[in-house]
Amino acid sequence: MNSPRRNPDGSLIQARQLTMTYANGAGEIEVLKGVSLSLYPGEMLAIMGPSGSGKSTLLYILGLLLRPTGGSYWLAGQDVLALDRAGQALCRRERLGFVFQTCDLLENSTVYENLEFPLIYAGVAPRERRERILAALEQVNLGHRLRHAANRLSGGERQRVAVARALVNRPLVILADEPTGQLDHRQGHLVMDHFEAVAAGGTAVIVVTHDPDIAARCHRVCPLKDGRLVAASPQAQGWAADG
Amino acid sequence: MRLDDLLRISVRQVYRHRRRYWGVILAIALGVAGFTTIITIGRDVKKNFNQDIELIGSANLIRLYWDHRPGQSPAWFRPETVSALRRTPQVAAVSEYTLRPAVVAAGGMRLEITVWAVDHHFWHLRQYQPAMGRLLGADSISDRRKEVVLGAALAAKLFGDRNPTGQTVDLDADLYQVVGVVRLDDYSVSNSLFIPLSTARDRLKGEVRPDRLLVRCATWDDVEGVAAAIPRVVAASQSASGLNVWVVWEALRRVQRVAWWIEFFFYLASSVTLLLGGVGIWNVMSAAVQSRTREIGLKKAMGAEDRDILAQFLTEALVLSVGAALLGLAAGRLVVALASSWLGQRPQEEVFIGCLGLSLAVAFAMGLGAGLYPSLKASRMEVVAATRYE
Repeated sequence: MNSPRRNPDGSLIQARQLTMTYANGAGEIEVLKGVSLSLYPGEMLAIMGPSGSGKSTLLYILGLLLRPTGGSYWLAGQDVLALDRAGQALCRRERLGFVFQTCDLLENSTVYENLEFPLIYAGVAPRERRERILAALEQVNLGHRLRHAANRLSGGERQRVAVARALVNRPLVILADEPTGQLDHRQGHLVMDHFEAVAAGGTAVIVVTHDPDIAARCHRVCPLKDGRLVAASPQAQGWAADG
Repeated sequence: MRLDDLLRISVRQVYRHRRRYWGVILAIALGVAGFTTIITIGRDVKKNFNQDIELIGSANLIRLYWDHRPGQSPAWFRPETVSALRRTPQVAAVSEYTLRPAVVAAGGMRLEITVWAVDHHFWHLRQYQPAMGRLLGADSISDRRKEVVLGAALAAKLFGDRNPTGQTVDLDADLYQVVGVVRLDDYSVSNSLFIPLSTARDRLKGEVRPDRLLVRCATWDDVEGVAAAIPRVVAASQSASGLNVWVVWEALRRVQRVAWWIEFFFYLASSVTLLLGGVGIWNVMSAAVQSRTREIGLKKAMGAEDRDILAQFLTEALVLSVGAALLGLAAGRLVVALASSWLGQRPQEEVFIGCLGLSLAVAFAMGLGAGLYPSLKASRMEVVAATRYE
């Protein structure tokens, strides 16, 4: 993608008045009611909130997995809501990395194969892939698991492989939906250690979580209630607050 | 997505889910093997059946003879006519012969009989087998030997229970050695004597010339074409006026009908098997799309476009169908080799290569057709719904 790597204000993500309405049999449900937020390079942002508050929906919209019913969204200097499905797919593979709660790996594949898919979709040449996969696995201390079957890994290892897979395409933003939800305390904080290391390298990280301990490790926490960001609590100096 | 990645991933997926795909692979492989076998060796099998006249009657035999024209010298078949007929495509063999009345004497008996002056092809075309001794071979004809073969009824009349082989008979006041006895169902033929055509020419009274021909076609499907061509072939060497071309049409039609139904059911069975394979691909690919919904969502989250997902599932369907067809071709080749060796024929390689191309084209079309809908369905999945699928 030949576009600037920043929005004009220096942010990576600039979302304004995002709304999301679902239609069901009983009528319409407004899940997001005008959410605005910005995210800067190297920033770690936690989105917290009770179940049904719309935090996963917000994450999916920011990850271009879901199209909002209203609002605007600029990612790295580009109005990404104006893109078609193919354009959004291109944006996902070049700029975004995902980590899901359920440690989603391709079960019948090896660790290597799991990490190879994003590179294949991004058109990375075969000779470059191994090097990048190893580098990503080394970042989460799993370089020795290269040829292991994904379904033989422990829960913690699976989630770290998922982090490595999100990193392998060198994204601008990592979006993690309850990444520690199925891990014990130690493993959960190990995953957060990796996110911190990634953020230190300039990649922004958005973590959706229920866990205040996990949220506390982020630079900023955005509590979401009934589809609105109720307050922004910067936990570190230098990060802009949203509403 | 690069083509080599696409193929590698698709082959890997099919291999890893091979237990799910076995039924489909087997159906397609059987269908292809069946088609390949019947197309490649079908004609050889027919030829083999056609050689067994006992089995199919005289359906592939054509008899040629002349009208008797009072006041004119009897017509006969010139050597160049017989050679031209032997060279006619789809003609497997030609035998020339003639019948003469004669008197035979032996063991104190004297009988008026019919003498068949025949060449050495005669026995094979009529499927006559010796009951005792031997028949008149090529040497007997070329050496103009004074040998005869007796019909079983005539042998019984002349020699009773004694073995006639090695005995002599008096034919038109000339002595001949009996070399064999042939058992025949037709009494009038069984009451006859067989002599080499060349010997008859030299020794029997009057002019002995071949005025009858037996033509055996390669298969019963060739009879109509050969029968139509014969007058033209004969006319090229001699006058064809008064020529009769006689085919047992009723027997031929019956044999053709039976063969058509056998062939039809074989093709039908192979087609149904292939169709089942196609339905099977549609079915297993639909099931695969359903069971791999999360995988599809995950790949889209990783940046796969709709066309990447479409290409992957479609390629998997193609790998399945073309792979199964290759297995079927290998099995078909084996069956063809075994059957050809059993029939004593060389497999028709050019026909097999044609089958190979056709089978792969059919398999490709089948994989494409059956895999398209499930693949389109997979490619159009919404990412969030797919990643949340339980």
